[in-house]
Amino acid sequence: MRGTTPRREQGMADPVLASMVHAIGLETAQHYTAATPKIKAYRDRWAELAKFRDGPVNPQRVEVTDPVEMAKQIKTKAIELGANMVGICRLQPHMIDLGEDVPHEYVIVACVAEDYEKVLHGANAVEEEAMRTYAKCTEIATELATYVRNLGYPALAHHNGGSAVQAIPIFYQVGFGELGRHGSLINEKYGASFRPGFVTTDLPLAEDKPREFGVQDFCMNCNVCQLNCPGDAIPKDHVITHGIKRWLIDLEKCYPYSRLRDEYCHLCVDVCPYNVKHHPETYKTFMKERKQVGYKTPKSW
Amino acid sequence: MEKLYVNEIRPNGEVSTVGLFYSPKEAEGIVKKLQELREKKSCKYEITETPPRSAAITPRREKQAQAEK
Repeated sequence: MRGTTPRREQGMADPVLASMVHAIGLETAQHYTAATPKIKAYRDRWAELAKFRDGPVNPQRVEVTDPVEMAKQIKTKAIELGANMVGICRLQPHMIDLGEDVPHEYVIVACVAEDYEKVLHGANAVEEEAMRTYAKCTEIATELATYVRNLGYPALAHHNGGSAVQAIPIFYQVGFGELGRHGSLINEKYGASFRPGFVTTDLPLAEDKPREFGVQDFCMNCNVCQLNCPGDAIPKDHVITHGIKRWLIDLEKCYPYSRLRDEYCHLCVDVCPYNVKHHPETYKTFMKERKQVGYKTPKSW
Repeated sequence: MEKLYVNEIRPNGEVSTVGLFYSPKEAEGIVKKLQELREKKSCKYEITETPPRSAAITPRREKQAQAEK
C-alpha cells in the first residue's frame, strides 16, 4: 500500500531548519550538539535497533481463527514489554509516508507515557524523558515485531530508528484521542505526554475504533498552549484534513525555541490542561510558576 | 520565509489541507508527488498563501455514532 501523507524531513535534512541554522552561520542546530550523554545514549539505542526492524518469519504459521483473541494476545504482550497503551487498526494510505510502500494490512501502535513530573525539573529533564520514552518504544516495537514474526506472519517495526508510518492518523483511528491545538494528539489519561512505536503486519487482528471525548471542542475555547508558546507558533485558526480539525504549527516560529537553543521546548504539551487530571499537583505547581513570570494559566487558576 | 498551504480538492468538492510548506519548491514538489499517485488522479491541488476557510465538519456525536456502527 502506497502512502499519501507527506512527512517533513527530520533534523538537518529539513530544508526549513537547515536554512535557519545556516542563516546564523552554524553547521548544525544547537539542540543536536548540546545533547546530554543520556540523550546521546538513547539516540544510539534506536540507531542500534534499526537493523532489527525486520527479520525472518517463522515458516510454521500459527492459524488465527479468532482475530479478537489474537488482538488481546498482542496487546497483552505489548503491555508486558512496557507499553502503557496499545491500539490496532487497519492500515490506510493516509497513515503512510508519501511515496512509501508498506505491504501490510494492519498496524499495531504501542505507546509509553512520559513522566510528567519531569516538567518541574526543566527543559533538559523533559528532553531526556522524551528520548528515554522513544528508546523504550523502539525496544517494544522491535520485540513485538519479532514476536509476530515468530507466529509466522511478516512484521516490520517502525520507530525513531526508521519508520514509514504517521503517528497522528493511527493514534486517532485506534481511539487514543483527538488532535489538539498544539499539534499533538491528546489522550484523556496521558494528555499529549506519550510517545509511540509501531508494528505493521499481516497478522489477522480485530481493529479498535476512533473515540472522541470533546478535546477539539475544548481546544476551540482553550488557548493556553497558544498563549504560552514562546515563539507564538500555534495558530488561532484551524484547517481541515481528512474531515478533522487540525492546527498547523508554524515551524519558522517554533524552531528558534525547539531547535536553535541548547534546551528543548516542550511547553505546549506541558501546559495543556489535559495534564491536570492525572497530575493535579504537579500541573498546578508548574502553572503557578509560569503565571509568576507572566504567562497565562487556565481560567479560574 | 514564504508560507504556502497545499490543499487537496476532492471530486466531491471536499477540501483537505495537506500541510503548510515554506517555499514554492517544497509545495510544488509535494503536489507533484501526490499527482503521481494513481489513487489521487481525480483530485486537484491548489497552493495558497492563506489557510482555507474552515469548512463545516461532521459534529462529534455524529462521527462517534458512525464509528460505533
